[in-house]
Amino acid sequence: MIAVLAQVAVSGILLGGVYALISIGLTLIFGVLRIVNFAHGEFLMIAMYATFWLFHLYGLDPYLSIVLVAGLLFLLGLVAQLLVVRPILNAPSSMQIFATVGLSVVLQNAALLVWKADYRSVDTFYSKAVISVGPLLVGVSRLVAFAVALAITGAIFLFLKRTYLGKAIRCVTQDRTAALLMGINTQRIYMVTFGIGTALVGIAGALLMPIYPTFPTVGSYFVLTAFVVVVLGGMGNMTGALLGGLIIGLVEAFSGFYVPALKEAIYFIVFILVLLIRPTGLFGVVGAEEVGLK
Amino acid sequence: MSSTARTGSKVGSVGVAGWRPGVDFYVLLALTVIPILMAVSVKDKFYLHVLIMMLFYAAASSAWNIVGGFAGQLSLGHAAFFGIGAYTSTLLFVDWGVSPWIGMLIGALIATAVGAGIGYPSFRLRGPFFTLVTIAFAQVLRILATSFRDITRGSIGISVPFRPSFQNFVFREPADYAYVALAFMLMVILVSMWVERSRLGYYLAALRENEDAAQALGINTARYKLMAVVISAFLTSLAGSFYAQYIAYIEPFATFSLDFSVLLAMMSIIGGVGTVWGPVAGAFLVTPLQELLRARLGGELQGLHLVVYGTVLIVVVILLPQGIVPSIAQWRKRVFRGGSTRTLPLGKEAP
Repeated sequence: MIAVLAQVAVSGILLGGVYALISIGLTLIFGVLRIVNFAHGEFLMIAMYATFWLFHLYGLDPYLSIVLVAGLLFLLGLVAQLLVVRPILNAPSSMQIFATVGLSVVLQNAALLVWKADYRSVDTFYSKAVISVGPLLVGVSRLVAFAVALAITGAIFLFLKRTYLGKAIRCVTQDRTAALLMGINTQRIYMVTFGIGTALVGIAGALLMPIYPTFPTVGSYFVLTAFVVVVLGGMGNMTGALLGGLIIGLVEAFSGFYVPALKEAIYFIVFILVLLIRPTGLFGVVGAEEVGLK
Repeated sequence: MSSTARTGSKVGSVGVAGWRPGVDFYVLLALTVIPILMAVSVKDKFYLHVLIMMLFYAAASSAWNIVGGFAGQLSLGHAAFFGIGAYTSTLLFVDWGVSPWIGMLIGALIATAVGAGIGYPSFRLRGPFFTLVTIAFAQVLRILATSFRDITRGSIGISVPFRPSFQNFVFREPADYAYVALAFMLMVILVSMWVERSRLGYYLAALRENEDAAQALGINTARYKLMAVVISAFLTSLAGSFYAQYIAYIEPFATFSLDFSVLLAMMSIIGGVGTVWGPVAGAFLVTPLQELLRARLGGELQGLHLVVYGTVLIVVVILLPQGIVPSIAQWRKRVFRGGSTRTLPLGKEAP
């Protein structure tokens, strides 16, 4: 029994790593632009399709295509920021929600139009490979996804702490007016941050492709989880997103083990409870949820 | 959201001293007469279907607008109320033989209670946080409807048996559904007009523009938001029961879908959120194209209509954040009255 539970815990944590990677992009964008990007899941979907086509047409391994896909998503993020997000940066929050919801509707249905509703998956030699650690079985692709997710998260932390650009981004997060007064080009920071956020979800998409099939609505499944993670960890809080991802991964794995039918319902209920009881999340600063939302 | 949305729709409304029919009266008259004439004369089943869906969406989007527009609480979970209505009336009818006319009232009362139950704790959340709770809530109901197979039949869904009679809310002639949908839409519009002009409407406008200021003025914002959600949930649930009877089949994924919630909100925003006529105009603009593309192009260009609407939504949000109806009303005011309008610039929030 202990071995079974340990197995469940391990799969939960591995799953949580990928959730964390998706969520860090979302939380970074929220922290800096104060916008909840409802189209975040659609960027994940596009990244997964990009990985699929690179594999299907050019035989490029999903792990090798990470860099390409991240670059592509960075550019897509810049375009989306320029066309959709920038014009509504100072609009009331309802309008901001609707601009990104509109973007999500467009991207999702454009994918449906172009690629149809078929499930498409990538079959590599490691897709179903499993290594055994003592009594535990660990899927290779899940382990890789988890390891890369952690490494990328670490890299993002270093980037934000050490580099000039990273410091500028943190500065804008704390106080955009003050940052502007200090001579930071906030418009540029917004663009770059949005691009980094979508590039992160691009990496997540490439990592997910050997594990999950892609289809036009795959994004809405993951993005709802990402919202849960981000709110749990505290909007705009990266450490929170990492821990929140692991927690939700564990919650999902254990509820899937005990009550498979209600697996999703359980984390949505967790989500509602967290929002109602502590909307700032487990690690958020009290009052943070109101900053920039009014 | 700017306060112009409110003044905009007031153009030509019923005068205070002595009743004289304003624009609203004529629009209402046209909305009554034209659909009746169409229902009587149109024999083509497809065009009748389009008419019914237009009336249905106009009603449902107007019901959403009471919370999403007048109160400014952006719900993307109205599919929850819709689904409660659809499931309650259908289950009572199929399993217990209760007439859907009674079932829809019971459903609406349940939706009202649920709306109050989820609304009350969520209303202290603002902006995207409120929206996220509403999304999650509808998802939970969808999962419950899928997994409690003994009651809801799970994802297989439930069919409404075809036994036409008034009592069964099943009609042989599609035109009869059009009359019911029309009556329902007119009822929702009248409720909207009442809300807009009542004390409640002014409280809602105040808290929508600036909740802290409204509270400081002594408005019990939680109470009025609750009233808005109760009215909206009641009407949305009725829409769900109507839909179940008309389509004669429900299942959890379509009934509790996020897409449906988004569609209701999208119609209101395109037409003019927070106004009486905005959601109606939005629904009338969006629905025909949607049904045409769905029926004529079918699987080939699946998703095309939503690509178009999504783009229209983004463009409207960026260029005409008040929506089409208030923009037209403003333009009319500028052209016919001349002079300056006491309005805020587009897209600026009231200070």
